[in-house]
Amino acid sequence: MDLNNIFFIIYQGLVLGSIYGVIAIGLSLIFGITRIINLSHGALIMWGAYTAFTFFTLYNLSPLGSIFIALVVGIGLGAAIFYVILKRLIGAHELTTLLATFALSIFLQELARLRYGLDYRGYNLYMGSINMFGYGASLSALYGGILALVLTTLLTLFLYKTRLGAAIRAVAQDPVGAYVCGIDVNKIYAIGIGLGSAFAMAGGVIATMYSPTGINPYYGEPYLLKSFVIVVLGGLGSVIGAYIGGLIFGLAETTLFPIYDYLNFHSPSSMALFTEFIILLLLLLLRPQGLFKR
Amino acid sequence: MGLREVLIKHLTLIILIVIYVILWLLREVFPEYSQLIITLLYYITIAQAYNIFLGMTGYVDFGYVSYFGLGLYGMAVAITLSSSSNMSEYIAILLGILLALALANTVAGVVGAIALRLRGAYFAIATIGLSQALRYLIEGAKIWGGAEGVIIASDLRKIFGEERFSYATITLPDTGIFILTVISGLVMYVVRNSRLGYGLLAIREDEDVARVMGISTTLYKFIAFLISASLTSLVGSMWALKITAIYPPESFNIAFSVEFIVIVMLGGAGTVLGPLLGGSLYALSKYYLGTILPGLQLTIFSVLLLVIVLVFRQGIVGELRSLLYRYSFIREVIR
Repeated sequence: MDLNNIFFIIYQGLVLGSIYGVIAIGLSLIFGITRIINLSHGALIMWGAYTAFTFFTLYNLSPLGSIFIALVVGIGLGAAIFYVILKRLIGAHELTTLLATFALSIFLQELARLRYGLDYRGYNLYMGSINMFGYGASLSALYGGILALVLTTLLTLFLYKTRLGAAIRAVAQDPVGAYVCGIDVNKIYAIGIGLGSAFAMAGGVIATMYSPTGINPYYGEPYLLKSFVIVVLGGLGSVIGAYIGGLIFGLAETTLFPIYDYLNFHSPSSMALFTEFIILLLLLLLRPQGLFKR
Repeated sequence: MGLREVLIKHLTLIILIVIYVILWLLREVFPEYSQLIITLLYYITIAQAYNIFLGMTGYVDFGYVSYFGLGLYGMAVAITLSSSSNMSEYIAILLGILLALALANTVAGVVGAIALRLRGAYFAIATIGLSQALRYLIEGAKIWGGAEGVIIASDLRKIFGEERFSYATITLPDTGIFILTVISGLVMYVVRNSRLGYGLLAIREDEDVARVMGISTTLYKFIAFLISASLTSLVGSMWALKITAIYPPESFNIAFSVEFIVIVMLGGAGTVLGPLLGGSLYALSKYYLGTILPGLQLTIFSVLLLVIVLVFRQGIVGELRSLLYRYSFIREVIR
């Protein structure tokens, strides 16, 4: 294993990690604002992937264009989910909200199954490749990683530099205090869940830029499970934490595979997943507040 | 206390057991429905076992299916071992049951020690992590055949003989499941009316207050968790004899955990009669929806689950109880 190989693994880990980061942000954002763990996050990612697939195959629209459609649809869908279902469940027992969002997840998956069937779909996205440390790297994956970084930056700027962003952070900290200060808390919840859903769907679009195949109604499930690890890494509820957690997770995933392969395990990819979940358990036990909070 | 008082005091339990026996007799009378009835008992039993933990404490374990999966593996591994070392059928089954219990209790002990320190959402996430870690460890390190699974049909033929194969895969596990249905009902009833049960309910309502009141919350949750996991692993050990082929993705599928959660919620969390009503309703509607509206069961269930969560949070038994609360006799029985 030479130095270029190691550099290439790190490069791949950062690109993948950036994409994981943007995928996990929605989960963290919604939890931060409403204290709801959104189990339909994976289903929203899946619908994002189908959005990219449908617009590419029907209208020849690049994922760089369909990501805007995913964002707009995501905000609308998220707000609708809030007003129809989650509004009654704010502050309810976890059991209730977990079940409600899980039911929603199955419903969204079923809609996809009825519309697209169970077959794996994919589209032929080739944007060229570049030479990276002597290896060929896909340009669309790189664009996906950069896009993820741009979206995360925009969201952070929105949350920290605008009045609406400040209102969202206020509600996340203390809904009652925010209400007393004249903030329409329900509207903020709707916007927050809308933004979280929009980022989940946009994350789905970006995920197909990394690898535009294997889209089926359960496409989002592995991403949901990984998002849990990432979000706990960065601290539940933190947006920047989720993105950094994603980077760490991406690096871990690309480095663990060659290690287990070298150790001659039967299935290195399964062992990498095993390690990721063990990391999740250790984190929950030792640092449930995330790596970066005091 | 006379016999009459004792009977009235425990009427709920008596009704429960009588219905279970009736179900079992129906299986004998209508052999064509025997597998439907066993499926019913399977759902009722696991829901009742889960109810002891989920219903009583309010903690959601999405990895609950792991204990069922470990039960499957416990029996399957024992059968393979017994077949290669020519042990008798009784020893093989006994070994399977013990191995299922040992595996489930070991993992539940570890989960309990780690995850039960966590609350609410963190606990739920930890359990997802654990069941998935287990699945990928089995696949990745090729434990128990890895992704290729364990197939025990030929080993069962060798241990039980060709002519007793249907005994080993139908009569024996079906009887076992029925016995477990009765046991889980009894255990739930005893727990519900014990110091442990009241402590658990206090934890569900407000864990901090329960702790201040002197309840050893971690110990109580731990005991409920072990009882619950043991019962489910026993159902798994019997189920392995019926399906005769065990694979990691099915054994640790989170969707099954959710199925069990839905049944507990549908019937009424923490109630003695809930799993019977929820399990029967769920199994029957799943069975008949599959024939009337093939392919739409899940769509309907997801909507149904939303309606339960949004409108009928207490489940069938809880809602019935609230509805008929002024009749003291019914209030005593429906719980």
